[in-house]
Amino acid sequence: MRHGLTPPRHDPDRAAANGSPTGSDQALFGDPLRSASGPRPTALPEMATAVIILNEDREIEYVNASAEALFAGVDPIGCTMEALLTSCGARGVEAARLSSAADEPITCTRVHLADSRVLDCEVRPLSNGGFVLSLDDVTDHVRSAELANRDPLTGLANRTLFHHQLLDRLEVVKRNSGRVAILLIDLDRFKAINDTLGHPLGDALLRKVSARLTGALRDEDVAARLGGDEFGVIQSAAEQPDAAELLAARLVDLIGRTYVLEGHTIHIGATIGVTVAPRDGLDADVLLKNADLALYQAKAAGKGTFRVYETGMTERIQARRLLEIDLRRALALKQFDVVYQPQVDIATGAISGFEALIRWQHPVRGPVSPGEFIPAAEEIGIISAVSEWVLRTACREAMSWPGDISVAVNLSPVQFRNGRLLEVVTSALSATGLPASRLELEITEGALLENSDAVLAVLRSLRALGIRISMDDFGTGYSSLSYLQKFPLDKIKIDRSFIRNIDHEPDRLHLVRAIAALAKGLGMKTTAEGVETLAELQCVRSEGCTEVQGYFTGRPVPAREAAALLSSGVQGSSSREND
Amino acid sequence: MADLYRLVYYSRNRVADGPEALDTAISSILEASRRNNARDNVTGALMFNSGCFAQVLEGRREAIEDVFERIQQDERHGDVSLLAFEPASRRAFANWSMGFVGASVHETMRYSGTAEASGFDPSRMTGDALFETLVRLAIEEEKA
Repeated sequence: MRHGLTPPRHDPDRAAANGSPTGSDQALFGDPLRSASGPRPTALPEMATAVIILNEDREIEYVNASAEALFAGVDPIGCTMEALLTSCGARGVEAARLSSAADEPITCTRVHLADSRVLDCEVRPLSNGGFVLSLDDVTDHVRSAELANRDPLTGLANRTLFHHQLLDRLEVVKRNSGRVAILLIDLDRFKAINDTLGHPLGDALLRKVSARLTGALRDEDVAARLGGDEFGVIQSAAEQPDAAELLAARLVDLIGRTYVLEGHTIHIGATIGVTVAPRDGLDADVLLKNADLALYQAKAAGKGTFRVYETGMTERIQARRLLEIDLRRALALKQFDVVYQPQVDIATGAISGFEALIRWQHPVRGPVSPGEFIPAAEEIGIISAVSEWVLRTACREAMSWPGDISVAVNLSPVQFRNGRLLEVVTSALSATGLPASRLELEITEGALLENSDAVLAVLRSLRALGIRISMDDFGTGYSSLSYLQKFPLDKIKIDRSFIRNIDHEPDRLHLVRAIAALAKGLGMKTTAEGVETLAELQCVRSEGCTEVQGYFTGRPVPAREAAALLSSGVQGSSSREND
Repeated sequence: MADLYRLVYYSRNRVADGPEALDTAISSILEASRRNNARDNVTGALMFNSGCFAQVLEGRREAIEDVFERIQQDERHGDVSLLAFEPASRRAFANWSMGFVGASVHETMRYSGTAEASGFDPSRMTGDALFETLVRLAIEEEKA
């Protein structure tokens, strides 16, 4: 039972602090009880409040009808209160406190019985050396108060209780100079799961998330469901923000792990904003706003991560808004460029195609990294327009290259959502005249995670046109082998993190070997991404990769230079090896 | 058995360094999973080396989902990669409440080579390279 919930009239501490009994109590318990064996007031046996009278030896000598009903099946006369309560499963401490009540004028104790009933007991000493106990069954009251503060789906605290708990903890911080962290947690991709797989499954998923959440917390931490897919945690700890950072990292990992639910494999993520009192403030609203700013930063950083509030975060968010404003204009102001990185056939050493990569050159900012502006473009909803521009540009420029050299263009998961992808691609091909067989579209696992049946249909239509599909960054996400079976793919691009230093890392070698063999068995090509040295190239060749892309075989260059690379004949790995 | 599912995953192990700590961790994992699995009618096999766990679980869908959720919340597993989760026609490890195979580094080498060696038939990819490896190692273990 949390103290914050206790309604005033049942608050034992408050009642104890009040001191003397009220007038009506005097009338009931005053004169007639001066002698324990004396006459009882006529009202006493019929009172709704359960009343027990103890003699000076603390043995029960009288119970009224309500008290008898409370302890049905037990004959209490002659027992001590401690024995009576313990026999009903009350916690020892509570029972002892009641029994030892002596010197204080009035003692109030909340007692929890084994059958989950909750009694508020009030002990008053009598002038004859005995005691009178009144017991109030507050079970329903306590339970409904608790329900009113609980999220019915997950059983976690709701927003109201979270706020009360936060105020309580902040009072403690003000008094004792302890530290409290607030974590605001947003689930990534939950809405898509809920929409595509249905609300009952979404609800079941939320229950699993809250189980993982509470499993990672200590008893004294507070976990709450604040809204649809928003959770909050209050963590008191001496070492802040260190403790909160450890917890946030653990929660990002834990909540982001795969779920299997009713036969579905489900991937969601967690993004977390953290703030710490008293460092970042002592006002609940200010702290919640700080945590929200930190959460916003974590989302801007690409989700699936956490950020701790820092002074200056407001300024950074302002900077991000300015970036977004510039980004919205960039397309119209022709600030984007496309460069092309060679993809080399490992067997022949010849360039088989190029991957189109976007570059943003801002007149004041200078070059802006795609890692910075692509997530921003996705967030503000212009990624489809930008991707479409890259696609058209790449198709047009590839037309200037000789032969059957292909061009690979990246698709954003967002493009699968708006339902126009097939139309955009066919329009780009017909406008530029590029044969479909020379176009390759690179997708990431992120595209396959949502609404996979619709995605599957689009991919099949694209392939039916003769376009090839590659799985980009393979091995960094969930890398579910079932995707390889379910989706029509022509190529797997093994992420650069598996290729770097592969000549010194046997684990990476084994992984690349297995992926290459797997792809071969499924009739797919494999591209090793990020090859930077001859030793790495030799490794991926001997492990069975069919293509290579990286600084060693060629940096990204403008279209004209790409054409020159092709005509000069200086291309591919074999020529470089002989350098 | 109706509603029979098979789940295959591997994870990086986060057990503290040192062979004794590893042995203790493995024993406790195996003991717990054998006890729970016998109760829930879950069968399967666990492969382990100093770097990772690989496990196949088979049984009723709900039982498999519960076991996997426990694994996901277990600190000893890091980076859990789910390789397969799908209906299965029959149990491959019917006699194993949790078989333990391939503890040595040599077995890891063998696992890595599986995809190449077994001449994959894409139509039967449901089992994964890993599943095939575990089945083969389990059979060898039974013979030994």
